[in-house]
Amino acid sequence: MYNVWLRNFLFFRKTFMVSLFWTTLEPLMFLGAFGFGFGHYISSIEGMSFLQFYFAGLLCTTSMMVAYFEATYPNYTKMTHQKTYAAMLLTPVSTQQIFFGEMLWAATKGFLGVLGVFLISSLFGLFNPNFFVVAPILFLLSLVFASFGMIMISIAKNYDSFVFSTSGVIVPLSMISGTYFSLEEIPYYLKTVAYIFPLAHAVRLVRTVLYRELGLFDLVHIAVLLAYLVIFSMIGQRLFTKKLVN
Amino acid sequence: MSLALNAIGLKKNYEGIPVVNGISFDIKPGECVGILGPNGAGKTTTIKMIYGQVIPTAGELLVLGLNTKKDITQIRSRIGVVPQEDCLDTDFSALENLLLFARYHNMDSDLAHAQAEHLLAEMKLSEFKHKQVEALSGGMKRRLAIARALIHKPQFILMDEPTTGLDPQARLWIWNYFERLKANNTTLVLTTHYMEEAERLCDRIIMIDHGVILDQGTAKELIERHIGLEVIELSVGSEKGYWLSKVEQAGLKFQEYEEKLFIFFETSELKQSFIGNIQNTHYYVRSANLNDVFLKLAGYQIREKS
Repeated sequence: MYNVWLRNFLFFRKTFMVSLFWTTLEPLMFLGAFGFGFGHYISSIEGMSFLQFYFAGLLCTTSMMVAYFEATYPNYTKMTHQKTYAAMLLTPVSTQQIFFGEMLWAATKGFLGVLGVFLISSLFGLFNPNFFVVAPILFLLSLVFASFGMIMISIAKNYDSFVFSTSGVIVPLSMISGTYFSLEEIPYYLKTVAYIFPLAHAVRLVRTVLYRELGLFDLVHIAVLLAYLVIFSMIGQRLFTKKLVN
Repeated sequence: MSLALNAIGLKKNYEGIPVVNGISFDIKPGECVGILGPNGAGKTTTIKMIYGQVIPTAGELLVLGLNTKKDITQIRSRIGVVPQEDCLDTDFSALENLLLFARYHNMDSDLAHAQAEHLLAEMKLSEFKHKQVEALSGGMKRRLAIARALIHKPQFILMDEPTTGLDPQARLWIWNYFERLKANNTTLVLTTHYMEEAERLCDRIIMIDHGVILDQGTAKELIERHIGLEVIELSVGSEKGYWLSKVEQAGLKFQEYEEKLFIFFETSELKQSFIGNIQNTHYYVRSANLNDVFLKLAGYQIREKS
């Protein structure tokens, strides 16, 4: 598993500037436009400034987006055109090791994106020591969406298939999970829908750890993320193996 | 001595259609065996079952005494595979490709470097070692794929059409290299379309088509059994009926192909006496070869790749 992760890290070393651009600079542009720009017109939301409110959401969407995209497009290329996995399977590396190695790498990349956003936004006054507490939660969130991405590559027919998961799941989740607006102020049934999915739990938890008092009930959010991770990994690993060895 | 490979009733169905249909064969250590067959015969599927990328529908397959169902990881650590498509990692250079593979084999880093440099030199790739894989020619990529299969010094090597698409010089170089591996007592299993390749390299040839073994033996045995010593290619044109009756009367083995008859002779005397009958018809005499056996067993019709 480590060797699969390492293969990606070695490639990342060659191309990190491109990676840095989309994993870190893109979220920072959102932070500029929404946090600093749009947020200027809102006095407070859930007892905090809109910038703080949005920053917590942005860390989570960055973690989700980067891990998901890293697990889908490049991995689908490795699975099909590049035949990287077929080559790995000529060696003692197993499909499970490839699956978890890739998942771990996509989550690492997601976390690197989060770290980049945190470090740069700290320069603009958003430094928060509790970041070191939310870091494992954000990594867990990256793992959840990396495993979701791995499921998608295992069932995709071509690159167009990812339009369904991106436009049908990832983008809507980034909108409805309490990133831009408070889930406390929307109708109950809409709130329930938002909390069916993992992102809302992560956003809520990260925001609480960064700016509020942590309660015992907040552990439920971690349990939900872990449950998603276990279920997605189990399903993904089976589908992935079936796709590569038949 | 235990067998390098033992396949018993090996079967693979895709959506209920058999691609490999219950084949059984053995390979001894140090033997070079060629699996020959037209497109879609089941060669690649058979090879993929040996290294575990295809799971057999039925049958037993033991590689180096290990069962592919249970011990595929161990098998893969002891065999080298050159797949039909090179599957080189295009994100990396030639040297990095070898080092990555060494890592996948859990090799010690110093040993991996030494072995990679040695193989690059052996494959005449040293000066291109820092080139990205995409920048290499077809022949170089193939040599790199062979080097990659040898990185962990396996004693059993599988090669799926190792010289397809290469120019004659590259092919000759690879043949010579395989002969060196053979001299080193390495077990080699290769699939090929090239009869010359099989005749030249293989101690034994297994001919398969439609997922079954048509025959197996040395090239000499197969040629003698199915063809004989010499062949006359007779351009019969519109007189096919006349010549067919002549050949049948003489009790000779033959094959029809469009406006030609391939007539097979077991002795030179038989051939000479038949030539005495030919007056105004164009003919061509040549030695019988493995190609004749292949065409006779697999048929003359063109197979498109599916």
